[in-house]
Amino acid sequence: MADQPTALERFVQGILPENPVYRQLLGLCPTLAVTNNMVSAVTMACSVAFVLLCANVVISLIRNLLKPHLRIVIFTLTIATFVTIADRVLAAYLYQMSKALGPYIPLIIVNCLIICRCEVCASRQSVVTAASDAIGQSIGFGLALASIAAVREILGTGMFFNIQVLPVAWPDWVIMVLPPGAFLTLGLLLGLVNFVEQKRAGRKG
Amino acid sequence: MEKWSRLRNSNLFQAWLVLLLSLVFGMSLASVEIALKPRIQANKIKETMEKIPGVVLGSDRAQAMQTAGEALDIEPMTVEAGGTFYRVYRTAFDDNTLAGFVVKASAQGYADKIELLVGFDAHVKRITGVFVLDQKETPGLGNKIVEEQWLDQFEGRSLSSPLVVVKTRAEKDHEIDAVSGATISSRCVTGIVNQTVEDLRNKLMVKKQQESNAANEKGGNGHG
Amino acid sequence: MNYLIDLGLLALSAAVINNFVLYYFVGICPFIGVSKRVDMAFGMGCAVTFVISIAALLSWSITTLVLVPGAPVSSFVASFFLSKEAAASIDLTVLSYIVYIFSISSSVQFVEMYVRKFFPFLYRSFGVFLPLITTNCAILFACLTIMSNIAGVDNPADAWDLGRALVFSIFGGLGFTLAIVIMSGIREELEICDVPKPFQGAAITLIVGGILALAFMGFNGVDSGIRRALTPDPAIEKTVLLDQGEGRLCRLSLDTALSQARRP
Repeated sequence: MADQPTALERFVQGILPENPVYRQLLGLCPTLAVTNNMVSAVTMACSVAFVLLCANVVISLIRNLLKPHLRIVIFTLTIATFVTIADRVLAAYLYQMSKALGPYIPLIIVNCLIICRCEVCASRQSVVTAASDAIGQSIGFGLALASIAAVREILGTGMFFNIQVLPVAWPDWVIMVLPPGAFLTLGLLLGLVNFVEQKRAGRKG
Repeated sequence: MEKWSRLRNSNLFQAWLVLLLSLVFGMSLASVEIALKPRIQANKIKETMEKIPGVVLGSDRAQAMQTAGEALDIEPMTVEAGGTFYRVYRTAFDDNTLAGFVVKASAQGYADKIELLVGFDAHVKRITGVFVLDQKETPGLGNKIVEEQWLDQFEGRSLSSPLVVVKTRAEKDHEIDAVSGATISSRCVTGIVNQTVEDLRNKLMVKKQQESNAANEKGGNGHG
Repeated sequence: MNYLIDLGLLALSAAVINNFVLYYFVGICPFIGVSKRVDMAFGMGCAVTFVISIAALLSWSITTLVLVPGAPVSSFVASFFLSKEAAASIDLTVLSYIVYIFSISSSVQFVEMYVRKFFPFLYRSFGVFLPLITTNCAILFACLTIMSNIAGVDNPADAWDLGRALVFSIFGGLGFTLAIVIMSGIREELEICDVPKPFQGAAITLIVGGILALAFMGFNGVDSGIRRALTPDPAIEKTVLLDQGEGRLCRLSLDTALSQARRP
């Protein structure tokens, strides 16, 4: 147990070094689907944060009772329950947002990120560590979504959080808010992150 | 003793955690559902009801009514016409005079289904307005059908002849200017409006007639 | 006839026009992970199509028979405990996500057992990818779309029947196969190209995927175009105004008016 990362390490790792989207390439479905404007991206990041935190805490509380061949079933059950709760709360209090995000909220259930964190961290470490891991990974996920959404919304509509930031004369690059724009933006940003990583690794080694 | 250890290793026993968790989660989901379901239903209905005054009275008058604290009485009903069922909303003022009808109609657009609210005036002679409830047209092009500026064209149009979409400037009474670069989306919206008018004009006229007959009978004694 | 046209257009839309990977962004993980070789990609696509059809069948049946308000099985069971009216309005849709994900896991288990027994070579070459299909967004997405077209429609007559559900899912899976096979073909070519180091791997795959999505956007509007070609356009249809006496005016299409006039 001594060589497992501490709570603080888990938290820091989740934000940039083990960023779920840019480094681990997990959870790409919502990343591409909801990032055509900032509001959707932030709502999705918050939903994932809620589900990840709750699932991690619950799994961590029962970690000593998990049987090896039934643990995936338990992970799935827990995650599906919290996703249903998140979906219902959104439909009740943010109805327009719930309609805009559509089927992508329930798709959080099959988001590899959450099952991965449950498996790697929550089922092995204490509640505090699991919680800080969840928060760290959620912040990382939120940052990744926000970066992509910022590019897509500003270039595609000239607005940021529905506030006009580019001059009205800007010819909207409509392609950015359509599916191809999502792929291209993520691909280019991923390349950029890899470039920065390789430069840093080159300087160290 | 043998039986007990066999029982302990059986699948059902090993799955006690799964069963317990299912029970706990099931109950929490049930309570969330009971707590939130009314709110969600109300949200769904509000979405359409909110838009109806604006469609049947025009946005200025609806705004004025709202600031004055008055509200339209909206009664939903289902009318069968043209082979499908239409959701028709009868709107009336406080004193039960007919304000108009609003019909929810939908059909295939360019990319996916377009859902509209079409308003008929109290005499069932003119269109009072059109509102786009749901559409998935191309952003930046077909998307422009939601703009008030374009939908204002439908206000006040007579029901006597079907509307036609033209690409050049619309001059005649029954011509509608297309959204530049989105002729097909414009045609689909106009087509839905035309189909709704054709299907429901007579039925709504009959309803209106029934109402004014009933009102006349009530007040008819005074005229002798 | 209309039903077959509807099914055909739905199939076209699910496979090509609104492709699962390139339009709805579901199934991206295997799209990037498994698309290095054409034969692996094709095998993965077939496995996903197979699982998606079983999962669609299961989810349609469970949704229609158990989950929606007024479903036969749930109201039958509830009628033992509650009054008839209360039993008819039992709404179990809150359990739908849990039910779907478990039916998907069982479908994958079933497919795994089947492949292990009858196609052992295929089973070995798949390795760990077969159980991973459980977390493939595409399958859950198909189930969710079926649910929203049964439970989420205003008019019960518009609810999807089994035919539509199956056609949508199977052709969605075929569309996924199409996209992943095209991508693997391109990636095989990319192996011998000089891709810059930061872009090797996922980044270049995503960029190529973007260009593919751009190409598939060309299919936008094909299904509605076909549908409109098969139905008369009310916006420009020729109509006549008939005076039916007592001030009642009636607008008929030209064809209807002529056929009515010809009748004695």
